Amino acid sequence: MYNIAYRIVGSTEEAQDVVQEAFVSAFKNLVHYRGDSTFGAWLKRIVVNKAINQIKKRRTERLPEDDRWDVKDEEPVDELEKFPFTVEKVKSSIRLLPEGYRLVLTLYLMEGYDHSEIAEILGITESTSKSQFNRSKKKLIELLKSKN
Amino acid sequence: MKDTLGKFVSQNREAFDDQEPPESVWRSIDALLPLQRQRFLGSPMVRWRAAAVLFFVVSVYLFVTHNTGITHRGETARLQKDFTDLDSFYSSQITEKMRLINDYDEVGENEQFTQDFQKLDAMYQVLREEMKNNPSEEVKDALILNLLVRVDLLNQQLKKLEDSRKGWKIKKWEDSKI
Repeated sequence: MYNIAYRIVGSTEEAQDVVQEAFVSAFKNLVHYRGDSTFGAWLKRIVVNKAINQIKKRRTERLPEDDRWDVKDEEPVDELEKFPFTVEKVKSSIRLLPEGYRLVLTLYLMEGYDHSEIAEILGITESTSKSQFNRSKKKLIELLKSKN
Repeated sequence: MKDTLGKFVSQNREAFDDQEPPESVWRSIDALLPLQRQRFLGSPMVRWRAAAVLFFVVSVYLFVTHNTGITHRGETARLQKDFTDLDSFYSSQITEKMRLINDYDEVGENEQFTQDFQKLDAMYQVLREEMKNNPSEEVKDALILNLLVRVDLLNQQLKKLEDSRKGWKIKKWEDSKI
């Protein structure tokens, strides 16, 4: 849970606050857990929501909020034949992504949410999530290549 | 389109979780919770077994120390009504999930799960009896926690069975290609 919070907020101090707040909140709201998903998934969602709220508090750069920003997948992401990068490089490059890109990429690739769930979590449309994800993947590969 | 990045991340997923929170975070959480003694370590099954044990201990404690039965008739009726509603909701979920698990017909591999579940069920019966004779908020909360822990145990078990079936299907498909 701490890693999830850290990936979203991008700072250890804030991740600690998020985890603390999320665990206390989960404990106090245990009665609202309806058993529709696993307890882990329920708790993870609380951590994700608290982390998103945390960055909203300090946000200057915003995600597109309506369909005007939706962009078709204008060009395919430059897919690689092989993946010559290390985990450390991928992690540090993800940290360099603009916040909106990092959020969508992290929620999709690392946390396993699909685009409809990401749309709900971030309050954006599903197509925005998809196009943001494609662009973030492209940007990440560019960053990785430039580091090599 | 080849998803080399996606494949790389899923193959190395665990390596991305390398951050450890300082001990002070758990101490702060511990201080803020009214009743919290478990440590969140180990695999999900270990954690849930720990939660089941913790629940068992709390239930016994409540059962033994509970001497303050609520005498007010209206309050008693409210408590029992609250519990009956929640009990029927979670019990139907438990029955449904048990049915799904039984459909898998792989009971032999789930000895630990069966034992954990039976222990929780036995404690549930004891608490339910106590709820009839001496209803209180504490007993109601213990019963609901028991139901929640069992629902989650079933969810974990279903996920495990589903994953194992998926793995089996993939293997069968790969074998058929050879």
